[in-house]
Amino acid sequence: MTDMPMSNPVSGATKGTLMQPDARTRRRNAAEKRFRIYGATAIGIAVLALVVLLFTIFRDGSGAFRQTYLAIPVELNAQVLDPKGNRDPGEMSKVLTLGYGKVLDAAVEATVARENIQIEGLTEAEIKGLISKDASAQVRSRVLADPELVGQTIEVDVLANGRVDGYFKGRVTLASAERDNNTSPQQLMLADELRDRGLMVTRFNWHFLSNPDASDQRPEAAGVGVAILGSLYMMLVVLFLAVPIGVAASIYLEEFAPKNRWTDVIEVNISNLAAVPSIVFGILGLAAFINFAGLPQSAPIVGGLVLTLMTLPTIIISTRAALKAVPPSIRDAALGVGASKMQSVFHHVLPLAMPGILTGTIIGLAQALGETAPLLLIGMVAFVKNFPASPPEGLFDPASALPVQIYNWTQRSDPAFIERASGAIIVLLIFLFCMNLLAIYLRRKFERRW
Amino acid sequence: MYDMNRVENAVSQTDIKIAARGVQVYYGDKHALKDVDVDILDKTVTAFIGPSGCGKSTFLRCINRMNDTIPIARVEGKIALDGEDIYDRRVDPVQLRAKIGMVFQKPNPFPKSIYDNVAYGPRIHGLSRNRAELDEIVEKALRGAALWNEVKDRLQEPGTGLSGGQQQRLCIARAVATAPEVLLMDEPCSALDPIATGQVEELIDQLREQFSVVIVTHSMQQAARVSQKTAFFHLGNLVEYGETDDIFTKPQDSRTEAYISGRIG
Amino acid sequence: MPLSWALFASLLLAFAGYLLGRSRAFAAAGPDVRQLHSRPTYHGASVALTALMPALAVLAIASILRMAGVITAEAGTIVGLIALAASVLGLGWAATRIGRDFQARNAVERIVLGLLIMCSLIAILTTAGIVLSLLFETGRFFQVYDWKTFFFGTEWTPRFQGNSQLGILPLLWGTLYISFIALIVSVPVGLFAAIYMSEYASKRVRSFAKPAIEVLAGIPTIVYGLFALVVVGPMLRDYFAQPLQLGNSASSVLTAGLVMGIMLIPFVSSLSDDIINAVPQSLRDGALGLGSTPSETIRQVVLPAALPGIVGAVLLAASRAIGETMIVVLGAGAAAQLGLNPFEAMTTITVKIVSQLTGDSDFNSPETLVAFALGLTLFIITLALNVVALYIVRKYREQYE
Repeated sequence: MTDMPMSNPVSGATKGTLMQPDARTRRRNAAEKRFRIYGATAIGIAVLALVVLLFTIFRDGSGAFRQTYLAIPVELNAQVLDPKGNRDPGEMSKVLTLGYGKVLDAAVEATVARENIQIEGLTEAEIKGLISKDASAQVRSRVLADPELVGQTIEVDVLANGRVDGYFKGRVTLASAERDNNTSPQQLMLADELRDRGLMVTRFNWHFLSNPDASDQRPEAAGVGVAILGSLYMMLVVLFLAVPIGVAASIYLEEFAPKNRWTDVIEVNISNLAAVPSIVFGILGLAAFINFAGLPQSAPIVGGLVLTLMTLPTIIISTRAALKAVPPSIRDAALGVGASKMQSVFHHVLPLAMPGILTGTIIGLAQALGETAPLLLIGMVAFVKNFPASPPEGLFDPASALPVQIYNWTQRSDPAFIERASGAIIVLLIFLFCMNLLAIYLRRKFERRW
Repeated sequence: MYDMNRVENAVSQTDIKIAARGVQVYYGDKHALKDVDVDILDKTVTAFIGPSGCGKSTFLRCINRMNDTIPIARVEGKIALDGEDIYDRRVDPVQLRAKIGMVFQKPNPFPKSIYDNVAYGPRIHGLSRNRAELDEIVEKALRGAALWNEVKDRLQEPGTGLSGGQQQRLCIARAVATAPEVLLMDEPCSALDPIATGQVEELIDQLREQFSVVIVTHSMQQAARVSQKTAFFHLGNLVEYGETDDIFTKPQDSRTEAYISGRIG
Repeated sequence: MPLSWALFASLLLAFAGYLLGRSRAFAAAGPDVRQLHSRPTYHGASVALTALMPALAVLAIASILRMAGVITAEAGTIVGLIALAASVLGLGWAATRIGRDFQARNAVERIVLGLLIMCSLIAILTTAGIVLSLLFETGRFFQVYDWKTFFFGTEWTPRFQGNSQLGILPLLWGTLYISFIALIVSVPVGLFAAIYMSEYASKRVRSFAKPAIEVLAGIPTIVYGLFALVVVGPMLRDYFAQPLQLGNSASSVLTAGLVMGIMLIPFVSSLSDDIINAVPQSLRDGALGLGSTPSETIRQVVLPAALPGIVGAVLLAASRAIGETMIVVLGAGAAAQLGLNPFEAMTTITVKIVSQLTGDSDFNSPETLVAFALGLTLFIITLALNVVALYIVRKYREQYE
């Protein structure tokens, strides 16, 4: 090979037939196959992670949408509930839930006695503990709404205790009840008996979506109502602030800004802001809006402002991309018929970029909806049981937010709250799914190729 | 659809390097190449000419199965290299492409040193046992591409730092280093200035001594300058194929004549 | 609420100004509207804006003064009156300007442009706000706590009765350790997923894998946090840590790192996808034309060409991992320690920011203020990573444009 003339610089690589791969090719093809397998494995890992994640969330969370109720006749004893006997709601409201608790205890005991259920070792406390501590509050608010009920015997569906509910959902077993201070095997057997008689049923639980949060001892009464409303308020703030500001800033930067060092600074600043950890925005919110501006803690307005600042870079980046995608010929055409630069942008470029802007906006809102960390710092993690008023005043009332409510429930000791947290995640994911679906729909519908 | 005997007949002549019979190419629904028969001779420069979109580049990419990399492309018919069908199921396109090298329209040196660019092919195909042999292959390939004297002192510098003409000659050296039997060139001068074009054309003429060269060009002058055989494609058909001199002086087909005289294209 | 009344009144004034401006413009034009420089609506708009802007400016300045404590809430009525007066003055002045040659469109456009510029300055203001609030509160922290002990202390034991040890090193170590594990998981998986998706996957595989990865990207971090808490943590403890006698905690470095790695897969994969696709097809063709297999093309040509971009992507992913909060809050634990065992609970900067700022503690104590120093450290680290990464990625993009 070395002494070949220059006219033939190198010898042939493979002179053999093409029909049989040589050893080297076989080796290289094996490496090729291995490489492909690595790639497929990576995809497999990602898809598997998603499937396991969603599966466990739905497995743990679907229980939150079903709840166990006990149907019992309750004799609303007038002596206890309305000692003065004039059915005045103002006076009756002096009777606290404790009084209604007594009435309910009696009703449960009467039912067990009437149904003639005999279980060895069943104590009175276990019978009374069958129903939720929240049940008395439910009955109380029903009576206060309709004072004429006092003295009558009404059929009530009262919430069952969280442990009994967990028993029907498979979370609590007779074995685990043995070690549990809050329930006992006897109580669960009683529940079984009541279910066999059709008095205790587990059914779909709308209250999960409408109830406010409940205290540590009453997981069965907790719902995401306040959290949904709080999240909605914050999204309104983001929508009304981040979108106009973001679009205006993008229009300036993309269409009007001179290309100089100053606009470079703004640009670099925006792309960096998009990558600042969300918790830093929480610190900003705490320092600027609460400590400096004196806005109230836990208020949706503060959450909304923080999320606005956080979402702005995302919206600006996607809006600028949408504006950039409008070809210069459109601008030239408008300028050519004597429109001012401003007119060409607002009359022609902006409408054409609208679908892209909308898509980016929805994705930014979806991000904001799922954000948790900054909201923890501005006090949204507080326990809120009252619904905020309607906006605009309601924006300053304490409220929760879906992701923060989820975090809140993960910090409680009763495992029933994990079910609630997973249920709230399902709600959150459904919202996000709908938003993304809308974004995809808009993108498809208005997709334009120049 | 195609006649097996035609292939057998074709390869019985020893100077035929590539024999194509009944080649059809579809891109999705588009019928890009229609029933092309052609014999490409060894140690000859064959030019494919025709207006853009006529199928000449498509056919070129069939010869080393580069169309495999386009998911929607479908090739029918038979192309034989030394009598072996390259579209046979047993043929490994990787091995095939080691024998049929390719130079592209735009110079595309890898973002590596000049040396590593040329050594890339020999390395992946295992053409050298040690560094000294590899050095030798690289030097010969660069000399063969008339680039050695310009780059011998800066072999470790990036190939992307060369001028356009040098980059294209580097790409030719890279293809030559793999020791192909056929070299396919897809408009190799379209991105070059006239001086660089002249250098590459001179090089093509030298390469003909070692192997068969197939060049796609949009310039009729170039085809006339470098090739011995010319094939004219039009709307996916091979209209005319023959000696370059004949094609340019006495075309048989009216479409060829129209193209050469500048009425279509 | 005198201020909202003032706002409402000036809005009314602006509307009246619009009608007034328009009718005066029509009057000035006479029978032929083309005599005017600008269309009558622009005249109306210019009057409306000149009436509204001074009032808004007064109200804005007043609310800033109010926040800064210069004026009290009682001054609201006076502020409202000043705002109204400014609005009326603006309206009167603008109305007199209307005439045939008044360039109303240009005047309106100047105001609109000013508004656009103000909006784009909000991004700068946000950064300034972050930096100022962090610096200010960190300054207060260093007045009550020695900065050397903070930056070089190896112990983190906050006590509410005071005399706390607040060294950042254990937190920094936990942060880096967890981020490292997250990158070990996400970079190879994300990179290979991107390669497979862009170079190999059939249409069918792509049609379900691509949306799946996008869904993974859209899941909020609190969901990943709960996943770490309920699934991954107990699983690692029961099947690995306890049998191997390495620990008894479900919250651990590995739990948080693994889950964070899963969270980062789509991030790494979409960045890598962009970067790999930016490598020109001609380079791939060149390698394939020489007889490379697809994997050789990727490993020897595409990846080396894309290397700077991929380094940038990894840095961005690292910055994300370091700043991630909810997964570590729920998955990593609260014990600040300098250990190597990945099955032990450790804690991070972000976890401690949350825990120091969500308690009901005094806003002047070092235990609370330290959160701002932690925040500043976090901000500087992630900012440095982002600046470098974005610079590299930008340079890389320009190379192939």
